[in-house]
Amino acid sequence: MIQLSDITKQFGPPAGGLTAVKDVSFSAKKGDIIGFLGPNGAGKTTTMRMLMGLIKPTSGTITISNLDPIHNRLQLLPSIGYLPENNPLYEDMRVDEYLLFVGEVKGIASDEIDTITQQVDLTDRIHSHISSLSRGYRQRVGLAAALIGDPDILILDEPTSGLDPIEQEKIKLLIKKISKKKIVLFSTHILSEVEDVANRLIIINKGELVYDDKKPKRKGSVEALFKKLVG
Amino acid sequence: MDSSPAKRDQNDNKINMKALFKKELQFYLNNPIGYMVIILFAVFANFLFIKDLFVIGSASMRPFFDVLPWLFMIFIPAITMRMFAEERRTNTIEVLLSLPVSELKIVLSKFLVSLTVVGASLLLTVALPVSLYALTNQLGAKLYIPELLVAYLGALLVAASFISIGLYFSLRFENQVVSFLFSVLTLFILIMFATDFMGSIVSGQVQSLLVYFSPVTQMQSFIKGIIDLRSTLYFVNITALSLFLTITTLERRD
Repeated sequence: MIQLSDITKQFGPPAGGLTAVKDVSFSAKKGDIIGFLGPNGAGKTTTMRMLMGLIKPTSGTITISNLDPIHNRLQLLPSIGYLPENNPLYEDMRVDEYLLFVGEVKGIASDEIDTITQQVDLTDRIHSHISSLSRGYRQRVGLAAALIGDPDILILDEPTSGLDPIEQEKIKLLIKKISKKKIVLFSTHILSEVEDVANRLIIINKGELVYDDKKPKRKGSVEALFKKLVG
Repeated sequence: MDSSPAKRDQNDNKINMKALFKKELQFYLNNPIGYMVIILFAVFANFLFIKDLFVIGSASMRPFFDVLPWLFMIFIPAITMRMFAEERRTNTIEVLLSLPVSELKIVLSKFLVSLTVVGASLLLTVALPVSLYALTNQLGAKLYIPELLVAYLGALLVAASFISIGLYFSLRFENQVVSFLFSVLTLFILIMFATDFMGSIVSGQVQSLLVYFSPVTQMQSFIKGIIDLRSTLYFVNITALSLFLTITTLERRD
């Protein structure tokens, strides 16, 4: 269970600084697959980073399973999988070295990592250097790392960004497959993706929450809603 | 948080630390830069010692250990500069902080790997005392091994304190070059405390205080083969303080 109450994040001085997120509140429970939408600079990444305990909200409280993501990070992080913005990876490592490293830190056996590697279709590039991988493969490596340890919560910051339509489809299906019995919060710019994968929609614009409800069912309605609220 | 308590139990401290250490060391093993830095250090250290050896005509390792802090001043920031700066530049620091591992362990693993690299470089200088011994043995000169070991211990303590300072600057600056320059400058000032040059700038009392706080002064007892408790504490304190500052900086979330 995730709970955000009146979260505000201000960067820079109180007067004249940038308010990236303003009074955002929402909660999420198991089974929620949330498409997190908003134009560039709306505050999606900032919200996700606050959820991960990477930055502190200026005001408001965040709890995950009734625990604080900063003070209780070591208790919480084994059950959260995170794909950061732009999918940063250790370029000098091989895919297997990297996934084993993440697995070892999370205390996960290597056979479970093999299963995930197959799940994300990475087996043929497992010994490649990360720096030599295409964008699609890199995205799969990031996703595989987030999936290690079968976390209850997945926070994915633009998991399909920069991928071709075929790759996008694969990642989309994968998220759909793994997301049962989890909380998934994924941000994206591709509105059709939300239509296919999410069961709930949160839209923020200029740091403020403008929509939080079930995903509209009719085809094309997400786009219409997004344009109405943000455009 | 109902799933995988058993998995979390397995997630004990040793595994965490070992994985982090391995990841940091892998960079030096997989990358020519690591070997190059180590070999360059060995070349410089050996050359600076050998060049005057026959001029001085003394079978002493002292000049070698006297020059070490100056070499470390450049060499150690070159090792530590990328440790955090690179993680911040590429944002892999976010990956690291989203894993269930404490900031203490992240900093310690980087510290221990840097110390291992410096240790490996120092090992490459062991040929110096060995050849010195071979050269002078016939003449009746003796090299006292325990004295030599204590001097190497002193060198490692100096290295530990320099590494911890370098790590702090590596975390403070996203740019590796800036982090390198700040580390070198700080270490240079610390080394300079012990030189006569400072005497012309500050008064006698202040100078003697500065001399005391220089790593060069504190290393002297080790070079003589004495493990001085005060000097040991000096290096341990500098290392602990800088590591503490690095950890608290990494723990900041604003």
